[in-house]
Amino acid sequence: MIEIKAISFSRGEHQIYSDFTAHLAMGEAVLLTGPNGAGKSTLIQLIGGLLKPALGRIDIDGIDIATLSAKEQAVKRSIAPQRRSFTLAFTVAEVLHFLPKKLRINDNTEVIARLGLAELLTKKVTELSIGQQERVSLALALSQRADYYLLDEPFSAQDSNSSANILELISELKKEKGVLVISHNQDAISQQFDRVISLA
Amino acid sequence: MRKLWIYLSGFAVLLFLFWLSLDLGILHLHRSVFALVGKHDVDATTVWQVRFPRALGAVIIGAGLGVAGAVAQGIFRNPLAEPTLIGLSSGATLGTISLIASGASIYGTRANIGAAVLAAAITAVLVQWLAPNKGFGFLLTGIAVSAILTSLAGLLISISPKPGIQSIAFWDFGSLTLLNNSTVGMIAPYIEIGVIICFFVSRKLDIYSLGESSAHYMGVNPKRLRLYAIIGLAFLIGASVSAVGSIAFIGLLVPHIVRLLIGPAHRKMLSLSALVGAIVLLLADLLARTLFVPNEIPLGLLTSLLGAPALIVLLRVRRASWVSHD
Repeated sequence: MIEIKAISFSRGEHQIYSDFTAHLAMGEAVLLTGPNGAGKSTLIQLIGGLLKPALGRIDIDGIDIATLSAKEQAVKRSIAPQRRSFTLAFTVAEVLHFLPKKLRINDNTEVIARLGLAELLTKKVTELSIGQQERVSLALALSQRADYYLLDEPFSAQDSNSSANILELISELKKEKGVLVISHNQDAISQQFDRVISLA
Repeated sequence: MRKLWIYLSGFAVLLFLFWLSLDLGILHLHRSVFALVGKHDVDATTVWQVRFPRALGAVIIGAGLGVAGAVAQGIFRNPLAEPTLIGLSSGATLGTISLIASGASIYGTRANIGAAVLAAAITAVLVQWLAPNKGFGFLLTGIAVSAILTSLAGLLISISPKPGIQSIAFWDFGSLTLLNNSTVGMIAPYIEIGVIICFFVSRKLDIYSLGESSAHYMGVNPKRLRLYAIIGLAFLIGASVSAVGSIAFIGLLVPHIVRLLIGPAHRKMLSLSALVGAIVLLLADLLARTLFVPNEIPLGLLTSLLGAPALIVLLRVRRASWVSHD
């Protein structure tokens, strides 16, 4: 279980979270939604250990993440950030082998196929469209062996067909794992999730 | 298969250049290099005491500069991050020169190499600390710090009466003239350590290329990675600068050539960068010694003269090897 316990966090003068509490359990898919600037991505950065709350704490399976190293956190949770910078001309296959073996799931062919990347494996990632790059980024996160998956705006650059495939992947993933998905557009997809957290 | 072919032809070129470096020079040999093994006459002394350490030094230092360039571009996530541009070389120069000027040590000693390594590391941390977070700020800060340190080094040289401090041209343009068996033997272990550290971080540099937050999410601690990379770079640059001054363009050019040959994966890139770096420096030094006999051209002039146009061509031919988002 990921437990966000009464955290407060501000950027400069702007208070984003005050006494905010939430959780994500194994076996559920939660949708996190809210307008731009509400702090959706900030929450992922907090859970990801990139930012630290001013007050409160975030636990993963009962352990304060502030006490975990980057490697220890990576074993527990995987994150697909909103943007990755694909600056070097790696092939898609190379990118999907970045993670050391211990951190990789045994077989990611299903993920690759569902995300429509099978034909792109030998293509250079720098030459792909934004939507294709984001699917590579998503595949990378889903190839990481973890208990919780946090996906920041996985649908934003996808057409309806790809979005449907991603939704299907999520509903299969949540059978064994915990999944938190950020999306600013909740109307079409919210019924696919077990819970919705709305940030004001 | 393509990779094997690249390596085989690389080694063949390196061996050929090495033989040429032993064979050619102001003194014309009366016999072939191979007939001089185990001999002690004038020809043999020239080859084994003068040309051999110089050629071996070129190979070791060139390999180190190639690796350093590849790691610097990776860790600073910038295709222009070259040790001479971002201040490491001028830091190392100032470190070495201060020690010589203060009389604490002379050229070509362990203390000197140590001072250069330490000064290069401090400079790297300083540039990081001073630079604004994104984009060209880092590079510009490096250039500015580099200019300050180079001027300080020049000032020190101008006012220091110590013999053996060498000229500004020696440190700024680089020269392999002072390499002998003892200096090469002394810097080799430092460069070896630097190369080992760089290989140790190389796989993580692939992950790091996706950005700092991505790297952290994937289990790589960016701060620790940067620290290790900087220590590796300091060993490579410190050791080579303390012996031959700063040699421009090799660290910048070599990784770009290598990326075109075998792609951007850092572990593969590092080995080939070492090989190509060795070839480029050996060739440059050979030309510097032999083009206008008996005059020797400053090495840095030659590496810039060959390297800069080559870089321009490379960038125009294949701009896609590095996409910038800044």
